[in-house]
Amino acid sequence: MLTCSVTVSYGSSSRALNGSISGLHQVNHSSRHTGSNVSRKGLSMAGDSRSTIQTPRQTVRVLNENGTDVTPQPISHPEPGAKHNRVYLDEFSGPSDILSMLYQPTTAASLTVPFSRSVFCSSKISRSSLSTIESVNEERVDTFYKQDNYPASYVQVEREEVKEQVTEDMLNEVVNIYLTETETITHLDMPGISVSVDADDAEAIKERNNRYAELCKNRMGNDKYMDRSMQAFIGASKSKQVQCDSIVMVDTACEATTWDMYDSFYGAEQDKTELTAEPEKSGYSESIVNSSRGPEKTTSLLSTTSIGNTTLEETGMCSDDAADPRLILQSEKFQKVLLVMERCILANIFQPKLAAYRQLPIVEDCDSVVTPETMEHREEDVERSLSPTLESLWVFSCELTKGRTISCMAWNKKNPDLLAVGYGEFDFRDQTPGLVCCWSLKNPTWPERVYHCNTGVTSLDFSAKHPYRLAVGMTDGTIAIYYVYSQDKTCAVSSSKCSKKHYSSTWQVKWAEQDMGLSGDDKEEALMSISADGRISKWFLHDDLDLKDKKKKGEILRSLNAGFCFDFHPVDSSIYLAGSIDGTIYKCSSSNSQQFLETYSQHFGPVTRIKWCPFNPNVFLSCSLDWTIKLWIQDQLTPLLCLTSTQKQVHDIMWSPKWATVFGAINEGQMKIWNLDYSTLDPVIVHMAAPGVKMTSLLFALQTDCVLVGDNSGQVTVYQIKNFTVGEGNQVDTLESIISSAVARL
Amino acid sequence: MASEVEETLKRIEGQRGVVGTVVCNADGIPIRSSLDGVATAQYARLLRKLTVMAKSAVRDIDPQNDLTFLRLRSQKCEIMVGLENEFLVIVIQNLHQ
Repeated sequence: MLTCSVTVSYGSSSRALNGSISGLHQVNHSSRHTGSNVSRKGLSMAGDSRSTIQTPRQTVRVLNENGTDVTPQPISHPEPGAKHNRVYLDEFSGPSDILSMLYQPTTAASLTVPFSRSVFCSSKISRSSLSTIESVNEERVDTFYKQDNYPASYVQVEREEVKEQVTEDMLNEVVNIYLTETETITHLDMPGISVSVDADDAEAIKERNNRYAELCKNRMGNDKYMDRSMQAFIGASKSKQVQCDSIVMVDTACEATTWDMYDSFYGAEQDKTELTAEPEKSGYSESIVNSSRGPEKTTSLLSTTSIGNTTLEETGMCSDDAADPRLILQSEKFQKVLLVMERCILANIFQPKLAAYRQLPIVEDCDSVVTPETMEHREEDVERSLSPTLESLWVFSCELTKGRTISCMAWNKKNPDLLAVGYGEFDFRDQTPGLVCCWSLKNPTWPERVYHCNTGVTSLDFSAKHPYRLAVGMTDGTIAIYYVYSQDKTCAVSSSKCSKKHYSSTWQVKWAEQDMGLSGDDKEEALMSISADGRISKWFLHDDLDLKDKKKKGEILRSLNAGFCFDFHPVDSSIYLAGSIDGTIYKCSSSNSQQFLETYSQHFGPVTRIKWCPFNPNVFLSCSLDWTIKLWIQDQLTPLLCLTSTQKQVHDIMWSPKWATVFGAINEGQMKIWNLDYSTLDPVIVHMAAPGVKMTSLLFALQTDCVLVGDNSGQVTVYQIKNFTVGEGNQVDTLESIISSAVARL
Repeated sequence: MASEVEETLKRIEGQRGVVGTVVCNADGIPIRSSLDGVATAQYARLLRKLTVMAKSAVRDIDPQNDLTFLRLRSQKCEIMVGLENEFLVIVIQNLHQ
């Protein structure tokens, strides 16, 4: 290791020294005191050597207690000719310079006397090494001296820095640099320990090696060699303590779950796709007024990134605080969650009723508090339930519908839980705007869709082919079609602009499959409507409802009869029956728009409803305001059966979808269920309406034993038919036999 | 849209047996609540922990699946929690009158 220590001493007073001492050695302050501090001064000098000192040099004088001058004299005196070798600290421009100065080959004496300068030529000395040097210096106090008192003859040579112009020639000049060793500086020389076999002195070396090997061999047990021990000096040890900053220990734990890893792997991909999709979407959202969607999407994007990146957190949800509470409340997801939540709550409330509707066993709530009173009630219930009766399950109603009259109800063809109810007044004088509500069984307290119409609604029907289309007929003759899948409140299509629209009330609308074209196989679903202006019209759906006039009834019908209701044959949909306001029922065909096939005129009042029997294609029922319900066979012009129970106008009838002999009828104050097998004179079940309430509409539930009744207070009550024993099967044969017996009687 | 949301929330709060509703953001900080402050904080804190664990369980089994709804039925009441990434909707309903 190469260390050069060149002691630098220069004439400067202690004061100057103190002032210029770097902060490394704080002991300097005491060096002002006389006497004892030679070593310290030496230290300070040593420390000083690293800093550049610009102060003028003055002689340092050491005085003891008595004031005598005891400054040590220099051992040797500088030679007057040794100019080059006096280097001043502040002119050092680097270790290389020092070395170049040191190694001037001219004066060998320069290495000794004036050069009691110590320069710690490495600028890499750290504090600790300096401190050790300190301690070393302390030991060397005795040997250390400084030559401060140079006589005035001390030539102060300044190394002038002559700035020479560097010329091309000078650059090209060959400069010789000599490196030599001194007593303290040596060149690193590590002689190799292996010699080539071809070298000149290889032989000699080999011989030497051999001799040495022999020597070692002979050493064992030889008297010439004696083992002797020596004790080496053990230096006085000194313990030194070091204290470091306290090490802070932090525990971190990480849990890697399956989904965490999945998110980290695939979350990045999803982010990319979302990011690429984002610029397009943001473009759209600017043009769309609903700008709350944009930030909502970005928050969901941020949430996926943070899920992917957080591995230390134990949360499964994003910790992104940027989601504004208001945005949350307005987002679509929130609405959906609320929808589900509402249905869950209502399922809890209505659970027994819905279970009864679905014909599931009602499970006793085992946590409910059972009091003696409830036990008594249950026993009573068990006793009472023997005769066929209707049990009210629940009511579809809400504030919107209060006080409105229900004019029609229809099930959705695809979703048997979806019910459309039309609200419109029968009274022509009452011009309140109509309402259509789509109710779901899952929420009896609030409709899923609410459509406000300009005038009262008279008729509804869901399409079978496109289950989202709901056709609505109104009292002013317009027909509108709503698409129920969207939340849009406006109707999709309306016939109000059509020139050929009905100019009087549309009493009934129905979707029916009709033959199109010449080939009998094309069946397209068209909307048929019958109205008070005497026309039955067939509508096609293009951009707007357009009318292709199906039948222009002849003058007779137009002038005398307004159509009230119609029904299409269940099997052959080109044949239909139409009832008119004068009591005549016409059987017509779609293919022949000029003539009627049959005319049945046995009713004395307007025919309010005609229904084909779903089980027997020859049989149909009709009811009218003349208090009667008549059962007909297609071929006969007189009815087979005429049923009257009370002297009240019959507004609605419907065949039961389950039993061929059962049908229900509504007159103003009562709902009746008839079973032709049981009796043709009296209904099986008579259910009274609540006082003041008139029933207006009837609908059988398709897959269960329930019947829905709409009244004029805006409520649709769902009843379950209990204890109704009909017999096995769907009673088609029974109906046949009844009919044949009735035919025979005629 | 916002008014419909408000209406739906009011309807839910008015249903028979519903004690209260709490809507929290993703961190479990209540945004909107119909209960008092102490109860709100309690429900939000406890249910958030539970939903995080439940979600972790569901996703551990199948990472492509996700938890949407959680129902806790106890002797006296039922706590229903609807989940999304950004928020939590908690409804407490009493079962018996």
